[in-house]
Amino acid sequence: MNSPHLNSADILGGVDDLPSLPAVVMELLGSIDQEDIDIAVLAKKVSNDPALTAKTLRLVNSSAFGLQVKATTIQQAMTFLGFEATRNLITAAALTGCFPAGRCPGFNDKAFWRHSIATAACARALARRVRFNADYAFTAGLLHDIGRLVLVSRFPERYQAVLSLRDKNDSELIDAERALLGLDHVDAGVALAQHWHFSDTMRQAIAYHHAPEAPGAGFLATIVHVASAVVHALDLAGNPDELVPRLSSVTWTALGLTEDAWLQVFHETELQFEEMSAILMA
Amino acid sequence: MSDSYELVPLAHLYPGMVLADALLDAHGNVLLAEGARLSEATILSLAKHGIGAAPVRRSTPLAKPDAGALQQRLDHLFRHNDRDDHADWATGLLRRYVEDYRLHREVEP
Repeated sequence: MNSPHLNSADILGGVDDLPSLPAVVMELLGSIDQEDIDIAVLAKKVSNDPALTAKTLRLVNSSAFGLQVKATTIQQAMTFLGFEATRNLITAAALTGCFPAGRCPGFNDKAFWRHSIATAACARALARRVRFNADYAFTAGLLHDIGRLVLVSRFPERYQAVLSLRDKNDSELIDAERALLGLDHVDAGVALAQHWHFSDTMRQAIAYHHAPEAPGAGFLATIVHVASAVVHALDLAGNPDELVPRLSSVTWTALGLTEDAWLQVFHETELQFEEMSAILMA
Repeated sequence: MSDSYELVPLAHLYPGMVLADALLDAHGNVLLAEGARLSEATILSLAKHGIGAAPVRRSTPLAKPDAGALQQRLDHLFRHNDRDDHADWATGLLRRYVEDYRLHREVEP
């Protein structure tokens, strides 16, 4: 019999059931904070996975990056775009499609990914305006809610109840998760980040995107917090019951953008989202 | 005459298409006025008058959702935000900006 509340051991206890990422992607994610990585070796490893390579190159050559010359190999992409940007696109290509869809009735996998991809695009647009590392922001935006997929994959029946409770109370999903599971997708995301050896930077961003004002949260959590709210407001996920969560005023102030800049961010987010979701969700 | 038109051969004319210019017969008489919507009968009569093609308005782009529907959807998205709650000003500001963006309201520079 299941106990009413889960703890992180329950999540970790089942991580073997979780999808595994291609080894090279784990290596890439773990390397975000490292200085001494052999890029050529990594590029070669990625190239051994033709499906991953093809998807990555379509992203690299999408208009978001405005390359004059199309990249035809991972190595070339790294030369044109830089290692970090390419690494993030490889990650994006690998992550979308590694969780099986349709395991939990009521959970809309497509809407989940649409929200994640749009948040990645928005976080990137925001980061560029505040001179923060746009590649970190993109990946963090893509990964911020990944814990939700862990909960859905591990506990589909219980998550169905979470979704019903959310519908009944018209609350935010995270509140329903806490009420019924005793933990939320943030806890699950942090557990997964540990299991998959994400870098500290990514783990922090996942851990604090709902609490960006907490001490030590870091600026990446601020960017992701706001980007996620913007994407809810732009209604990009395709959820009939879409709800804009309360935005932390501290984070809004910290970004310090004019209305004009915000409207540009909205526009850029929509444009890049369209193109990237077409590639990633194909 | 509208500049967004195409000359469509008789065989490809369908009821419902709208003329982009007046159609004249060989004597210069107006057969059909600009803006006329073609029906099966009018297409047949064009054939009888020996007209081989007609200038037709390009299909109009999908109508923009009206401002009222957009505003309603935005109110739904922001249903947890109270415009008068000054403590929640950040969400309120995001709301205003997204409204400006969606409804194409003028933005002061």
